[in-house]
Amino acid sequence: MRTQHSQTNKNHRFIDELTRRGFIGRTIGLIAALIGTALTLPLAVYTIIPALRRRSEDWVDILNPDQLRPKEPMSVEMVTSVRDGWLKSASVKSVWVVRKNDHDVVVYSPLCTHLGCGYRWEAERQAFFCPCHASVFDIDGRVLAGPAPRPLDTLPFKIESSRLWIIYKEFKAGTPKKIEL
Amino acid sequence: MPRRLYQWLDERIKLQPIKIKLLDEPIPGGASWIYVYGSVTLFLFVLQVISGMFLAIYYNASPDHAYDSILYIEQEVPFGSFIRGLHHWGASLMMVVIGLHMLQVFLYGAYKRPREVMWIVGVVLFLLTLGFGFSGYLLPWDQRAYWATQVGINIVGTLPLVGDLLVRIIRGGQQLGALTLSRFYALHTLFLPWAVVLLIAVHLFILRRVGPAGPWDPQKAQRIRESFYPKQVFMDAVAILLTFAVLFILAAWSRVPLADRANPSDVSFMPLPEWYFLFYYQLLKYFHGPWEIIGTLVLPLLFYALLFLLPFLDHTPRRDLLSRRGVLICGGLFLVMVFGLMGVSLKQSASLSVTDPAVEQGRRLYVKLGCSGCHQIHGEGNAVGPDLSYVGDTREADWLIRHFKDPQAVVPGSIMPGYKLIDQELKSLTAYMLSLKHSARR
Repeated sequence: MRTQHSQTNKNHRFIDELTRRGFIGRTIGLIAALIGTALTLPLAVYTIIPALRRRSEDWVDILNPDQLRPKEPMSVEMVTSVRDGWLKSASVKSVWVVRKNDHDVVVYSPLCTHLGCGYRWEAERQAFFCPCHASVFDIDGRVLAGPAPRPLDTLPFKIESSRLWIIYKEFKAGTPKKIEL
Repeated sequence: MPRRLYQWLDERIKLQPIKIKLLDEPIPGGASWIYVYGSVTLFLFVLQVISGMFLAIYYNASPDHAYDSILYIEQEVPFGSFIRGLHHWGASLMMVVIGLHMLQVFLYGAYKRPREVMWIVGVVLFLLTLGFGFSGYLLPWDQRAYWATQVGINIVGTLPLVGDLLVRIIRGGQQLGALTLSRFYALHTLFLPWAVVLLIAVHLFILRRVGPAGPWDPQKAQRIRESFYPKQVFMDAVAILLTFAVLFILAAWSRVPLADRANPSDVSFMPLPEWYFLFYYQLLKYFHGPWEIIGTLVLPLLFYALLFLLPFLDHTPRRDLLSRRGVLICGGLFLVMVFGLMGVSLKQSASLSVTDPAVEQGRRLYVKLGCSGCHQIHGEGNAVGPDLSYVGDTREADWLIRHFKDPQAVVPGSIMPGYKLIDQELKSLTAYMLSLKHSARR
C-alpha cells in the first residue's frame, strides 16, 4: 500500500517536472526565435537590397542646342559622375547629337547595337557606319545594312534654359529589343 | 520537425552524451540571476561578431574611402544605421556587462583557488575587449576617430626607452594614416576576434573542469544542487532577451555619432575617447612634465599587476564578504576613483558642448531639404551658395528667419528658393545654423 502510494507520488512529480521542463524549454526556444528573427530580417535586407538597386544617373548639361546644324550629327564628349556604392568617380563619355529640324533633336548612345563598337558619321554617305562588322544606320538611326539587330539607341534628353541635358545610359548589345543595363 | 531531425542526427552522430554533458552541469547552491553575466557577455560577443561581419560588407579600410563607406552605410543601405548602431551600442553594453561580470566574481571571491587561471584568462579577455574598443574607434575615420587615436598613440609615446619604437609599430609608419588604418582594421577584424574566441574557449573549458564557485556558504552549496538546464538556462535566456531589447531600442532610435571627415590639418578639434576610457583620459590631466610617466606607465602597470595577481594577493580560502574586508575596501576605492574621474570628465565635456535638441532637429531638416545641394558645411555639399561652416559667427537669428521665409527680400537677386516652413521648423533650422561656429568646434 505504502509503496504504491509513493509510486504514484513519484509519477506525479515526474509528470510535473516533465511539463515544467517542457514549458521552460519552449520559452527558451521562443526567446531564441525572437532574437533570431529580429536579426535575420534587417541583416537580409541590408545585404540584398543595395545589390538589386539600379545605379542612379543624373542629367548632364552637354551643349547649347544652337550649335547644332541640321543633318550634321555631332559627337559630344561629356563628363558623367558615376556612383558605384560609396565610390564616386567621373568618367568621360561621348554621345551623338543630331538636329532633325528646327524643333527636334535626337541623342544616340555611341555604341553600335550589334556588339557595342563605337560607330562614326560618314558625311559623304550620309550614314552612321560601324567599322567592326559594317553595320550602317541612317540619320534617324534605322538599320540600312549589316548585322545590327535594332536601330541606334536613343537617350533621354531635355532642353532647359537653352541648354541640352541628357542622361547617359547603356543598353544590352545584340538583342532586337532595347534593354537598359 | 526539429525533434525528429535531432533524433535522426542523434542516431548517427551520438549527440545525446554531449547534450547531457552541456546541460547537466551541476550548479552549487542552485540557479541564480547573479550568474547570468557570463552568458550575456558571450551573447554580446557573438552579436558583435555578426554585426561586424555585416558592416565589413560595405566598409572600406582606406583613408580615401573609409568615411564615405560609413556615410554610405548610414544613408544609403537599408538598416545600415541600425546595424552600425547594434555594433556601436553592443560594444558599450559589452563593457557594462563585463564590468558587472567582474564585479560579481570579485564580490563572490570566485577567483580564489582553484579558479586562479580562469580569472587570469578573464582579465586577458577584458584587456583584449579594450583593444577592440580602441582599434574600432579609428575605423570610421572621422575627426573624433583620428584625433582620439592620435592622443591614444601619443600616450604610448611618452613611455621611456621603448615609447618611440612602440608608436612606430602601432602606427605602422611615421604618421597616422593609411598604414595605421589598415593595421587597426586587421587587428580589429582578424587578430583580436580569433584571440578572443580561443580564450573564451579556454575560459569555458576551465569553468567545466573546476565548476562554478557557488555561494559563500559551503553548506548551502552542498545542500542545494541544480543542473544548468533548465532553470539557469532559462534565467540566462531572459537576461539575454532583456539585453537584446535594450540594444535593439538603442540601435533603432539612437544615432551613432559621426563627426566630420578626418582632417589632419584641423588641430582645433578636441577629441574625447569612448566613455569607458574617459576615467583614464581624465586621470592623465593631473600629471604634467616629469610626473606624466606616473599616469602613462606607473599607474597602468600597477593596475595590471593588481588585476592579474588578485587571486594570489587575496589567497585565503574563505570567500565570504566579512572575512575579506581589506580587499573589498580597496576594490571599492578603485571603483569610486574610476567613476569619480569619469563623472568629472563628463561634467567638463558637457560644459563644453551642450547639444540642444532643436539643433539636432535643424540638422535633420537641413539634410531633408537637400540644402547641401548648394551649401557646404566642413567640406560636405556643393559650393554653389555660401559656405555655412561658421555661419553662426556672422548671422543673427532674426536675419536667418527672415531669409528662410523670403530669401530675395533679404538678399536681392539670391537664387535660393524660399521654403514653406512651419514656425517649429524655422526655429530648429535657425538653431542649427547658429550652432555652426568656430567656438563650437572644440
